[in-house]
Amino acid sequence: MIKIPPYLQKGDTIGLVCPAGLMPVEKVSECIRVINEDWGFTTKVGTTVGRQYHYFSGTDEERLEDFQHMLDDDNVKAILCARGGYGIGRIIDKIDFTNFKRNPKWIIGFSDVTVLHSHIYRNYYVSTLHAPMANAFNKEGYKNEFVQSLRHALEGKKIKYQVAPHEFNRKGEGIGELVGGNLALLAHLVGTGSDLKTKGRILFIEDVGEYLYNVDRMMYQLKRSGKLDKLAGLIVGGFTDMKDTEMPFGQTVHEIIRDAVTEYNYPVCFDFPVSHEKENYALKTGVGYKLKVGKSKVMLEE
Amino acid sequence: MKRKRFIQSSFAAVSASFLPALPQFPVSDDETLFISPPALKTGDIIGITSPAGYITSEEIQSAVKKMESWGYKIKIGETIDKRDFTFGGTDEERTKDLQQMLDDPKIKAIMCARGGYGAVRIVDKLNWEKFKLKPKWMIGFSDVTVFHSHLNKNLGIASIHSKMCNSFPDDWSLAESIQIETIDSIQQALSGKKMRYIATPNSQNKLGTAEGVLIGGNLKTLETLAGTKSDINTTGKILFVEDTGEYMYNVDRMFWNLKRTGKLSQLKGLIVGGFKIKVDPDADDFGKTLHDVVLEKIKAYKYPVCFDFPVGHQKNNYALKCGVKHKLEVKTDFVSLKEI
Repeated sequence: MIKIPPYLQKGDTIGLVCPAGLMPVEKVSECIRVINEDWGFTTKVGTTVGRQYHYFSGTDEERLEDFQHMLDDDNVKAILCARGGYGIGRIIDKIDFTNFKRNPKWIIGFSDVTVLHSHIYRNYYVSTLHAPMANAFNKEGYKNEFVQSLRHALEGKKIKYQVAPHEFNRKGEGIGELVGGNLALLAHLVGTGSDLKTKGRILFIEDVGEYLYNVDRMMYQLKRSGKLDKLAGLIVGGFTDMKDTEMPFGQTVHEIIRDAVTEYNYPVCFDFPVSHEKENYALKTGVGYKLKVGKSKVMLEE
Repeated sequence: MKRKRFIQSSFAAVSASFLPALPQFPVSDDETLFISPPALKTGDIIGITSPAGYITSEEIQSAVKKMESWGYKIKIGETIDKRDFTFGGTDEERTKDLQQMLDDPKIKAIMCARGGYGAVRIVDKLNWEKFKLKPKWMIGFSDVTVFHSHLNKNLGIASIHSKMCNSFPDDWSLAESIQIETIDSIQQALSGKKMRYIATPNSQNKLGTAEGVLIGGNLKTLETLAGTKSDINTTGKILFVEDTGEYMYNVDRMFWNLKRTGKLSQLKGLIVGGFKIKVDPDADDFGKTLHDVVLEKIKAYKYPVCFDFPVGHQKNNYALKCGVKHKLEVKTDFVSLKEI
C-alpha cells in the first residue's frame, strides 16, 4: 500500500518554497494570507520565496537547501511549491529523502513539480498532491472550487469529482492508482531514475504551450516506451495554448491523443479539469481511484 | 553486462559461419559488429524519399542534379510532392515509399529529402529484414536522427548524418564555399573515402584523445527516443549532439536527460555541434551558457569534449558516418575527428 502522509490539522504548518522558477513575494502573499486566515493552518515561508538568481528562485544550492530544510523539519506537515517553471530536474538527485521516508508529508504542486511526483512515487511510494500553486490563489482565485479542492484534500476529505462528458471519451470503468502530471516532463523522465510507472494505473496528463507535433511525438514516446498499453484508464486534462507550425499538423490535440490510444480498451476521458488554467482539481497521486466514464458523466472517485 | 556481451559476441561468432553479413541483436554494445553498407560506385542508384515533412519535386531539383553530377542515378520516391498537412504523405504512404527503397536491391543509398517531423510515426511499421541482409546508406539529419538511432540500437548498420535535399542551393554560383564543401562531403562519405574533419579550437574544450564508434544527432530527437526501442546506446562511443530553436532551459533539461538516462557516464568522447538557442524576451536570462550547461553534466568524467564542431542546423554541417569508428583529438590549438 502506498504511504499516505498525515492529513493536516488546524494549526499545522505548510512550508512554502520555490524549487524552480522565481516568484515575487507579492504574488505569494495572498496564498499565505488565505492559508493562515481562512484555512486555519500556519505557514513557514522558505528562503527561496521572493529570491532570484537569473531565471531561478536561487542557485541550485539555495533551492536545494530550502527544500531539504522543509523536508527535514518535522513541524512542517506539507510543502507547497509556490510555482513551477523549470529547475527541479537540476536538484532532484541531490535531495535526501531519508527523513521524508520516515516522516512523509504532502508535497504539493504541478507542472515542473511533476518531477517530484514521479520521482517520489517511483522511489519512495508516498502519495503527493498534484494541485494548484500560489498564483491560483490570486485575484480571488482562492474562492473557486479548484483551490478549495486543495484545502479539502489536505484536510483528508475523500476525493470525488464529477465532470462533463466529451465526444471523444471512451466509456468504461477503471480502477488503479492515480499517477501523472505534465506530459512534457513525463516524457522527459522516461528512462531516468524518476521514470513514472504506469502499468495497471490510471494516468492523467496535461500540458501547455506545446506544438501539436511535439505533443504527437511525446505520445509516441510514451507509447513506444510501453507507458500506454497497460493502463487502467487515461485522464486527459487541459492542453491549452497549443501551437502549430506554418504547415498545419492536421489534427487537433484531442485527435492526436485519441489516436495514440485507439488500439487499447481502457476508459479515456478528455478535458478533465487538471491543467495550467484555473480548472485544476487537486489529485492525490498514488492513491487508488475509480474512473467511471459514462455517457452523461465522468466520475473520478477515491 | 560483460557476461551478456560475451554471450552475444560468441553467438555472433558461431552464426557468422552461416550468415556472414548478418549482425546479431542487440549489437549496439559491440563496435566490432557494426557494419558499413557498401560504398557507392558510378552508376549506382540513390533513392530520394520523404519520411517526415512535405517537400516538392522542385525543391529537390538542385540535389538531384548535383548527385547526378557525382555519377549516380536518382530514383525519386512517391512521397516527393505528396502531402498530408505537414507530412510528405500519410503514414502509410511514407512507410510504403521508404519500405520500397529499403527492399529494392538496386537502390544503394536512401537520401531523406528533408526532416521536419514524422519518422517516429513510421519507424515501427518498417520491415528491416531485407535491409539487414543488404545494408545501404541512409542519409539525413534532424528528424532522421530517429533512423540513425534505431539502426545503431537494433541493426548495427552505419548511416550518414548529413545535409538533405532541402539544403542544396538553387544557384551554385551564389553558394558559399562552406556550403559546397559540406555538400561535397556527402559524396566523399558515399564513395567510401575515409573522413576527416577539423574544428575550430574553443577555450572551453576538454582536451584529450579518444577512439570509438561515432553516433549521435539531434538532441531533442534523441531525448524523445529515451526508453523506446530506438533509444541510442552510447556506451564506449563518441557522441555528437546538435539542436536548433530550443530555449536554454530546455537544452539544459535535455542534457540532464542524457545524464540521468546514463548516456554520458560511459562515453569515449563528446562532440557538441551547433546549438541555436531561442530567446524568450519575457523570461529572465537563464544565467548559464551552453558551455556551462554541458560542462557541469560531465565534470566527473575524463573524456575529451569539443564545442563548435561543424554539425548542426547550419551551413557548416559536414557528413558524418554514424556507426563507424573514429578518432577524436582535442588539443589546445587543434581539434580533429577522423575515421579510422
